[in-house]
Amino acid sequence: MHTLKGTRFAIFIGLLPALIIYLGVAILPIGLSVYYSFSRWDGITDMTFTGLHNYQQILKDHIFWLSVKNNVIIMLTGLVGQIPLGLLLALLLNRKMKGVNFFRTVGFLPVVISSVMVSIIWGMVYNTEYGMLNGFLGLIGLDSWKHNWLGTPGLSMFALGAAYIWQNCGLYMVIFLAALQNIPAEVNEAAELDGATGLRRVMRITIPMLKTTLMVAVVYSISNSFRVFDLIQIMTGGGPAHASEVMTIYMYNNAFVNMRFGYGSAAAVLILIFSLIVVGIVNWIGRDKKD
Amino acid sequence: MEKKSISVKILIYTFLSVFAILNIFPIFWMIVDSFKSEPEYAAKPFALPTVLHFSNYEKAWEVANMSTYFLNSLIITFASLIVTVILGALASYFLSRFQFRLRGVTYGAFLLGMLVPIHATLIPIFLIMRHIHLLDTRWSLILPYTAFHLSLTIFILEGFMRGFPKDMEESGVMDGAGIFRIFWSIILPITRPAIATVVILNFIYNWNEYLFALVLITSSELKTLPLGLANFTGVETASLTLQMAALTIALVPIIIFYLMLQKQLVNGMTAGSVKG
Repeated sequence: MHTLKGTRFAIFIGLLPALIIYLGVAILPIGLSVYYSFSRWDGITDMTFTGLHNYQQILKDHIFWLSVKNNVIIMLTGLVGQIPLGLLLALLLNRKMKGVNFFRTVGFLPVVISSVMVSIIWGMVYNTEYGMLNGFLGLIGLDSWKHNWLGTPGLSMFALGAAYIWQNCGLYMVIFLAALQNIPAEVNEAAELDGATGLRRVMRITIPMLKTTLMVAVVYSISNSFRVFDLIQIMTGGGPAHASEVMTIYMYNNAFVNMRFGYGSAAAVLILIFSLIVVGIVNWIGRDKKD
Repeated sequence: MEKKSISVKILIYTFLSVFAILNIFPIFWMIVDSFKSEPEYAAKPFALPTVLHFSNYEKAWEVANMSTYFLNSLIITFASLIVTVILGALASYFLSRFQFRLRGVTYGAFLLGMLVPIHATLIPIFLIMRHIHLLDTRWSLILPYTAFHLSLTIFILEGFMRGFPKDMEESGVMDGAGIFRIFWSIILPITRPAIATVVILNFIYNWNEYLFALVLITSSELKTLPLGLANFTGVETASLTLQMAALTIALVPIIIFYLMLQKQLVNGMTAGSVKG
């Protein structure tokens, strides 16, 4: 083909621009985050190196642990709400029936809309005076069920969780649909011949065949739950009184509202560590089962 | 048996219809209410509008600076998209069609980006952008959007390009074409379906992105649509109908885009997920 030297040079030239942008803007900052996390810094005056002080402070802060708890709630909401619902929809929509395309299109629609828009729309649904939810409850005579959904500490996480499910379950529906369409028709035919129909076939044949995809979806859903920000920042800002604060909001507030870049960086590093640990555990459990 | 299957069918359709209504209703109602006058909305939020108040739209377009936000979103979305796709395709070409020592490491490094939460990079990116005086410019968004979407772009394109038979480039070599010529005239054209997918995915991500914009943009004349909308609804709390009109204006293009490219989009999403 080409002379080796020329090829090498071309490879270098071809990869370089992508690598520079990627390493410079996506990878280098992770290292910098770790570096900043050991310092006290407002971003303007000199940086003071404080070792593990930020981490000690964060781990002592009950608001941080509140945010961890809310992250766990969001994670469980994803695992218990989005994945089973997405799987059920995919199973129902993986067949020839009237309106199947309509239901798929509508199911995926919320995934395409920006999370800002989803947040504002759901903010209106939950609006205490004019919101659709309270309006609907009034309409069917359940006035006593009306609430200030986002403004009540015990309720705000549930309200956010519902919006979170609404926003993302279509994504899992599509992921499972793709996997279902990759199951060869012969498998289903053979199962049918053996007398496995309906629910039995789904439980014994289909779901076991989706194991890999289920794992991918679980890992994806968990790492997504650690990234939740827009929805909560716009709908409640983490309130009332930190009741719906998650780690990303905690990080954002400390770094960009209070201008504590070192402290915020430590929070960012903890987000990264927590999410890697949970994803690692899930991967490990998943691998164990396969053997 | 016959009876049972009919009742199962009814059950399935009922479930799916409830799901569809829950998905559409909030959006539908937002559009309906955007045509009401403010007093009408306050008095009867649940009734259909008696008169269609298109004036909400005129006012929202002005008050909410929609034209500015649209323009910014368009520029930033397309600039990032073009850079991502060109650089990503080029990198994918070398990663998929050539053997060299650091190939595996480079490819692995690019894929790592899909695992990195952007939040872990937000503070340094803010500080870097300030340091190199790009903070509050369009570049401050174009660079991160490009960097973070190179991963998925390379993941999809590399997989697609690797699928071609090895002798694909041979005719080009016979004609004496150089490596970049082969990339441009042979590889790129056959990669078109995968590129279409990548373009759509990148478009949606860039168009909808909020967090980077929130942190890196402060001038209102540079704000993107999500950031502008979030600010507008945060400030303009008095007029909900105006908010709804602004939201509807922002929603229409993305819904049209989705309905037009729905098939390609869903195929692209699934191509990525099945491989992973």
